[in-house]
Amino acid sequence: MTPDLSYPDVVQMAVPIFIALILAELLWIALSRRGGRYETRDAVTSLVMGAGNVASGIALGFLAWGFFMLLWQITPLDLGSAWWVVALCFVLDDLRYYWVHRFGHRIRWVWASHVNHHSSQHYNLTTALRQTWTGTFTFMMVVRAPLILLGFHPAMMLFCGGLNLIYQFWIHTEAIGRLPRWVEAVMNTPSHHRVHHGRNPRYLDANYAGVFIVWDRLFGTFVAERDDERVDYGLVRNLGTFNPLRVAFHEWAAIFRDVTRPGLSWRARLAYAFAPPGWSHDGSRDTSAAIKEKHLARHPEDRGTPGFS
Amino acid sequence: MPLGILIALVVGGIAGIALLTHVFGFSAARRFADADEARAAFLREFPETRIDRVTLSADGAAALLETEDGPALAWAMGADTSARLLSEVRVEETPRGLRFRLPDMTAPCIDIALAPEDRAAWHSASGGAR
Ligand SMILES: [Zn+2]
Ligand SMILES: [Zn+2]
Repeated sequence: MTPDLSYPDVVQMAVPIFIALILAELLWIALSRRGGRYETRDAVTSLVMGAGNVASGIALGFLAWGFFMLLWQITPLDLGSAWWVVALCFVLDDLRYYWVHRFGHRIRWVWASHVNHHSSQHYNLTTALRQTWTGTFTFMMVVRAPLILLGFHPAMMLFCGGLNLIYQFWIHTEAIGRLPRWVEAVMNTPSHHRVHHGRNPRYLDANYAGVFIVWDRLFGTFVAERDDERVDYGLVRNLGTFNPLRVAFHEWAAIFRDVTRPGLSWRARLAYAFAPPGWSHDGSRDTSAAIKEKHLARHPEDRGTPGFS
Repeated sequence: MPLGILIALVVGGIAGIALLTHVFGFSAARRFADADEARAAFLREFPETRIDRVTLSADGAAALLETEDGPALAWAMGADTSARLLSEVRVEETPRGLRFRLPDMTAPCIDIALAPEDRAAWHSASGGAR
């Protein structure tokens, strides 16, 4: 067994790099007048969300860690800590990220946590740091269980998860257009992730990848960025507040309000918590599928094109 | 990393980036140049809803719309915009204009600057209770 395996906290170590790259992007945009947009209150909200994410990790991280170490006690498997094990762990953890992220858009309970990452109408490096405060409550740590049971040490898995998060930082930019073809084919890139942040009907529920875009190509969720359709960033219904507390908790509050409505069946209450975002018992709201259908009714020429198939 | 240094980095980083962003002039709020821009801002959030009438505020930071689903607001959110239908709105007068309170966690309170002579018309057109 390798019980005392430990890795550096790479996300905390990357904070100075995050700040330096944000300053570089901001300067580039201010001086060249292209490559994206910044707005003061939007940027501050994103950065405060990022700080709160780190704080919530320090405050609540022990819950997930306790769960992981419990699994580590149970499993008879131990793959050790050779470099190729770390590399394999990184790839499998990225597959884990793809599914957690996909659940994050398709299950309202998980969306309540992830929605804040999409709540900015901007797309710059500060948007990358607009991270959840409530990830622990989604219980998505269970998706990591198979990796630990397979013999990947929890510390190694969290190390790979940290590297994954750091990789995703730099792709939150409009300053980089398209990269060489092989990069766009294999890796998640600024172009692919811009699509993921789009509220255009075509771009909804696309490109869930963390590091490797191949998962989206494999599981049928890939949509390429189009030169004839500029990405409109933000939520289907954009927020009317910059208040970080509201950004962090609004969808949880909305779930609570819907689930406790008088006169609903238990099935409807469960659906308000776990069905795709936009589900409603009376059809008064739109899911992403309904939004795409309504778009096709207005634009039949788009039927069958990427994002509408 | 020691917690003290991490906190100093985060606080200093946020303050520095905020200050620079402001100095570069990126705090300027969005303004609607005309009714069509306000209309587009509303349709961005409610693409299926027919708009019958648009009234711009004097500073162009907001618009009151009459739609098939009732009165609505479109307004500047920093450099961008947002919009809401005004069912269940409560309206209060503020020193600068009107405050629209909605039972909506994501837009609980919309402050619109309005000249004193425009306030009564906006208030009654919004359908809001006091
Ligand atoms: Zn997402
Ligand atoms: Zn993102």
